[in-house]
Amino acid sequence: MKDEMILQVQNLHKSFGDHEVLKDINLDVHKGEVMSIIGASGSGKSTLLRNINLLEQPTGGDILFHEKSILSDDFDVTLYRAKVGMVFQSFNLFNNLNVLQNVMVGQTTVLKRDAAAAKTHAMELLERVGMAPYVNAKPDQLSGGQQQRVAIARAEAMDPEVLLFDEPTSALDPEMVDEVLNTMSSLAHTGLTMIIVTHEMQFARDVSDVVCFMNDGVLAETGTPEQIFEHPQEQRTQEFLKRYLSRV
Amino acid sequence: MSHMLKKWWAALAVLVVGIGVAGALHRTPVQAAGKDNGEFKVGMEAGYAPFNWTQSDSSNGAVKIQGSNEYANGYDVQIAKRIAKALGKKPVVVKTDWDGLPPALTSGKIDAIIAGMSPTPERRKTIDFTNTYYVSNMTMVVRKDGKYANATSLKDFKGAKITGQLSTSDYDAIDQIKGVIKEPAMNNFPAMRAAIESGTIDGYASEIPEGSSAEAANPNLKMIHFAKGQGFKTNPDESDLAIGVRKGYEYKAKINEVLAGISQKERTRIMNEAVANQPSTGNTGNWFVGLMQQYGGMLLRGTGMTILLAVVGTLVGFIIGLLVGIIRTIPRPRSMGKRGLLRFFDWLLAVYIEVFRGTPMIVQAAVLYYGSAQALHLSMDRTVAALVIVSINTGAYISEIIRGGITSVDNGQFEAANALGMTHFQMMRKVILPQAVRNSLPAVTNEFIVNIKDTSVLSVISVSELFFSGETIAGQNFQFFHTYLVISAIYLIMTFTISRAFRLIEKHMDGPKNYNVMNNQMQVETPHIGGTTTARKDAE
Repeated sequence: MKDEMILQVQNLHKSFGDHEVLKDINLDVHKGEVMSIIGASGSGKSTLLRNINLLEQPTGGDILFHEKSILSDDFDVTLYRAKVGMVFQSFNLFNNLNVLQNVMVGQTTVLKRDAAAAKTHAMELLERVGMAPYVNAKPDQLSGGQQQRVAIARAEAMDPEVLLFDEPTSALDPEMVDEVLNTMSSLAHTGLTMIIVTHEMQFARDVSDVVCFMNDGVLAETGTPEQIFEHPQEQRTQEFLKRYLSRV
Repeated sequence: MSHMLKKWWAALAVLVVGIGVAGALHRTPVQAAGKDNGEFKVGMEAGYAPFNWTQSDSSNGAVKIQGSNEYANGYDVQIAKRIAKALGKKPVVVKTDWDGLPPALTSGKIDAIIAGMSPTPERRKTIDFTNTYYVSNMTMVVRKDGKYANATSLKDFKGAKITGQLSTSDYDAIDQIKGVIKEPAMNNFPAMRAAIESGTIDGYASEIPEGSSAEAANPNLKMIHFAKGQGFKTNPDESDLAIGVRKGYEYKAKINEVLAGISQKERTRIMNEAVANQPSTGNTGNWFVGLMQQYGGMLLRGTGMTILLAVVGTLVGFIIGLLVGIIRTIPRPRSMGKRGLLRFFDWLLAVYIEVFRGTPMIVQAAVLYYGSAQALHLSMDRTVAALVIVSINTGAYISEIIRGGITSVDNGQFEAANALGMTHFQMMRKVILPQAVRNSLPAVTNEFIVNIKDTSVLSVISVSELFFSGETIAGQNFQFFHTYLVISAIYLIMTFTISRAFRLIEKHMDGPKNYNVMNNQMQVETPHIGGTTTARKDAE
C-alpha cells in the first residue's frame, strides 16, 4: 500500500432537514487502496459515498481530493467527477444508448477522445467484463448482472483515479452476484483506488485493504479485514457481524 | 458531437435566423406605407357582394388583392378606383376580416375602409368617415318557399328566428321587430345564407343591394319588399354607407370632392352593374369537379400556407421548448450572482409560458400585427407575423411538454451522467433530451395537429391559410356546405398524415426490438452517439 493520500473526508456532516444522516465522519483513502464500507441499512453508507461524489451536497466538514477542497467555489466539479467514477446499485445505464455507446459517451463528450480511440478502449473493457458480444443491445434487453458489468466498464472507460461502488450487487438476483463480484475482484488487483459499499461480507474480506464499519451515521470501527472480521473491538461491530454472518 | 447532429442544429439555427432576418427586413415605418409608394390601400372583406367580392381574374375592371393572385370587384372597388385615380395613386385591395378593418386602418395597414360600412357614432370614436358614398335601405332575406316569403311588414316577423352580421347596425335594427327571436349574430353573409338554407334561421337583416344580390345568386332566397313605412326605421348614421379613414387623414376633403362628383344616377348605374357582374353559383355538372376547377388553385395555396404555418410553428416551437427545458432544469449554481441570474431567467420563462398559454392565439396575433404597427410604427409582413405568433405560442406549450418529458426521465440517468463528469448541457444533449423527447413525442404530435387546425384563427390578420380561402370561396360561390366539406376533408387528410408519420417516427426512435450478438469485433460499427440521430446498423 502506498502512502500517498488521494481522498480525505474531514468532519463530514450531512442532514436532510432535521434528520442527521452523517455525524462527523473522518476518513483517509490512500492511492491504490481498496476500501469496503459495511454496516446496516440506513447507517449512512450510501449517503457517504454520494457526498464524496457530490451527488449530495455536504452540510458540514470538508472533503479533500489530492489535498484540495472539492467544496470550494473555484473547484472544477465536472473534472473531479470524471476522475472519480461511480457504479450504482440500479446500474443507471443510459436507456437511449446501446452498450457500446454507453461505454463511449463519457469518453467522447467529457474527455473529448475521438470516436475511434473511444471505441477501441470501450471494446477492450467490454471484452474484459465479458460483454463484448452485446455491444448492440439496449440496456433493457440485458439482465441485471450484464447491465452492471457494462456499468463497470462505463466507469472504467474514463480512466478514473477512484471508483465508487454503491451496493453494486444489491439489486441483482443471487445467481448474477458472482459475475459482478468477479469483475470487481479483477479490478481490485489492478491497483485502482476503490471504495465499495457492500453487504457481501466474504467479498469485502477477500478484496479489501481496509474495512470500515458504519453505524448510525458514524464510522464505528476501521481496520484491516482480519481486524474487523476476526477480532472486532467494538460491541456494535460484533453484534452486526454476528447477526449478518449467522443469516447467510 | 456527432456529425449528423451538428448538421441538424446548424440547419435549425439557419432557419431561426432566417425568420428573424425576414422579419427585420419587413420593418419599415408605417408612414411610408400609405404615402410614398403611390398606392391607395383599401380594406374590405371581398366577400360582401355586390359591394365587394373576390374573383379569380381581372374581368369587369377588378383590382388585384394584395399578396394574392385573386382579384376584388364590386361597387366598393369601383368607387375605390375613382378615388385612387383622383389622388393619382394605384388602387390596392387589402382583403381583411370585418373585425380586422378598424385596427388595420388605425395601424396604417390600409388607407381607407370601403366595405359597406356605416358611420355609427360608436365607430366615429376611433376613426373618421367621409360623406356618404351609398345610401342603402334595410331589408330582410328569407327562404323563397318559406313561411315568411310573403311578408310585407316587420310585424309579419313575429316569432321568426332572425340574425344579422356581427357588429353591424343591421343586427341592432332587429330589435325593432316585436316578438322576434333574435339569434346570435353571425360573422359573414355566406354563413347567414347557408343558415337560411339549412333552416336554422328564418331570415337575416341586410341592405337592399346585398339582398338583391343574394336573390340573384341563389334561387332559394328571396328579398322582402316592405310596404311603405312598414320596414326598418333607420337613421342616416346607420343606413348611409361612408368611407372610413384615419382621423386627420390628409386626403379626406379630396375624397369628399370625388364622391360629390358621382351623381345619384351614376351610383345606381354602378350598383346595377355590380349586381349583374357578381359571381353566380353557376351550378352545372358535378359540384366537386366544378369547385376544384374554379378554386383548386386557391385551395392549394391555402393548404400550402396552413402547412407552412404548422410546420414552421411546430418546429420553431419545439426548439424553443427544448431551450426552455434545458434552461429551466439547470441546477442551482454555487455562486450567488449566477444563482440570481438563473432565478431571473426562470422567472422570465415562467412569465412567457403563462402569458402565451393563457391568452388566445387570435388575440396574440391581433396584438402583434396591429399593435406593433400602432404603438411602435413597425409594419410587419403578415405572413412573418403569423409565423412568429404560431412559433411563440407553440413554444409555450411545448416547453411544458418537454418539462414533463424531462421530469419523467429516471433520476438515475441524471446521476449517472453527472457521475461521468458531464456538464448540464452535455447531459441534456446526450442522455436526457433524447429520452425526454421520445416521452414527449405523442404530446408534440398533438400540438402539430392543433397547429394545422388552429392557425385558422390567423385570418384575423388576413393570412390566407386554408380556412380563410374556404371563407373566400364560400363567399363567392354561395356553396357554403360543399366548400366547407372539401375544406374539412383537406384538414383531415393533413392531420391524419401527420399522426401516422409521427407514429412511424416513434417506432423508428425505439429502434429494433432484437439485437445480434457480435462474436467478431470487425462486425461492430462505430456508432454515432447522439440520441435521435443514432444510426444503428445491425450486421447480418
